[in-house]
Amino acid sequence: MKTKTGYLKLVSMQKRGKTILKDSYAEGAFKITRPVYLTESGEAYFYVMNPGGGYLDGDSYQLELILEERAEVFVTTQSSTKIYKTRACPASQEMVIDLAAGSVFEYLPDPVIAYQHARFKQRTLIRMEPDASLIIADIFTPGWAPDGRFFPYDWLQSKMEVYMDGRLVLFDHVKLEPDRGINSMGFMEGYSHFGTMAVIHEQLDRDFLEELVQWMEPLPDVRIGVSLLSVPGFSLRMLANSTQAIENVLFGCHEVIRKKLFQKEPVFLRKY
Amino acid sequence: MAITMDSQLLALLQLTDSNFPSGAFSHSYGLETYIQDGAVFNKETFFEWMRTYLERQLAYTDGLACRFAIDFFLKVELERIWELDQKLYAMNLPEETRLANRRIGDRLIQMGKDIFPVPFLETYRMKIRKGEAYGHPAIVFASICDYLSIDRHQTILTFLYSTVGTLVQNGVRGIPLGQTAGQQILLELHPHLIQTVKQIEEMAPDDFGAAAPGIEIAQMRHERLCVRLFMS
Repeated sequence: MKTKTGYLKLVSMQKRGKTILKDSYAEGAFKITRPVYLTESGEAYFYVMNPGGGYLDGDSYQLELILEERAEVFVTTQSSTKIYKTRACPASQEMVIDLAAGSVFEYLPDPVIAYQHARFKQRTLIRMEPDASLIIADIFTPGWAPDGRFFPYDWLQSKMEVYMDGRLVLFDHVKLEPDRGINSMGFMEGYSHFGTMAVIHEQLDRDFLEELVQWMEPLPDVRIGVSLLSVPGFSLRMLANSTQAIENVLFGCHEVIRKKLFQKEPVFLRKY
Repeated sequence: MAITMDSQLLALLQLTDSNFPSGAFSHSYGLETYIQDGAVFNKETFFEWMRTYLERQLAYTDGLACRFAIDFFLKVELERIWELDQKLYAMNLPEETRLANRRIGDRLIQMGKDIFPVPFLETYRMKIRKGEAYGHPAIVFASICDYLSIDRHQTILTFLYSTVGTLVQNGVRGIPLGQTAGQQILLELHPHLIQTVKQIEEMAPDDFGAAAPGIEIAQMRHERLCVRLFMS
């Protein structure tokens, strides 16, 4: 097998109400911070760093996360993931996540920015116990030229599979190609930015989702779709013209979910 | 049993006849959202929408699923059919569309079973009843065509045609448009249907499920439309 550009493995466990790092291993251009604790609830926050700066032809990154029973982990990035010209061989990122009983995993990375001629493939595999919880989001944006115009990338592909008790409960596949003019209706609808979020939590029901919809429907400059999954949870997709418009929705949803479902305080990710 | 070309043709005509009670006439697959948003309002905009739906949504989801199912039936790989059924259900993020496919799949199994003695359909029905499968029109359609020894190309083409044909009829009622405009749109879609079959044949298995984001969002938003003519 070809060596990865960056590989990271993280095993976390719960000890007296606090999530600690049990084991970690990093190789190549992928680094992760020691856990930090931003709230009183004991969940561990990790920041993934890519000292290489951006993804180039043939770069491949792999991230493996294991959450043992009742471990609570929040992962984000230190800055956006930049994909440069990768026409010869698409850049790729793979995540494998195992969530044991009662664990909580939150993943809210910075946007993936795809520059001209960028090709990027992302795969996520999640295996979870029915009482584990999951919040996972992504933002895909085009890179911009110095004059502020957006560069059209070639394509961005993201595939996520979630298995619960060995059964595939969510298969989320998007392959974005900037609108090619004629077929813009139905595809990107003329928007440039794409955001997605999936949430799975035992207590998530229709009433909760309706409450969330009431909160986000009036938000400007975004086109949002949200629907219940076949397991307690929902999937959200949105189109917009700026990262900020998407982050407003994602962070807002995240706060409501933390407050109403997790009974936890909101968190402010200090990055800069 | 020798099945002649003519009887194959007749079977396909019957399966795709708008009188065939699949229940698909109750579903717009997101089209109604576009109509209410004012984005689809005449022949031109409707044709544009139909083309995107066919080439960038249906092709990557149910169309490719139909191709997979034909292959699995040919090779008698039933386990892979059940995997496909599970995947089709799990990848359909809008709840209404997920349930629509399930409902239409169920109706097709029932009807198919009553008119063609396809042994698979009884197995499928039992599996669904036990909660081990969900039911999907692409799989049912492929199983009937496999039973009738209809070739792969024609099976995919006919499956796409029947889906698109019903949607055009639904558009004619929902927008509304004249029957002539509807028939003209359907005719104009012919070369695109042929092209889409070719596109499906050339797809990598990895392309499966890459749905069009705009249409997916519209299918999700349909749940919250105030006045609805269609169930999805």
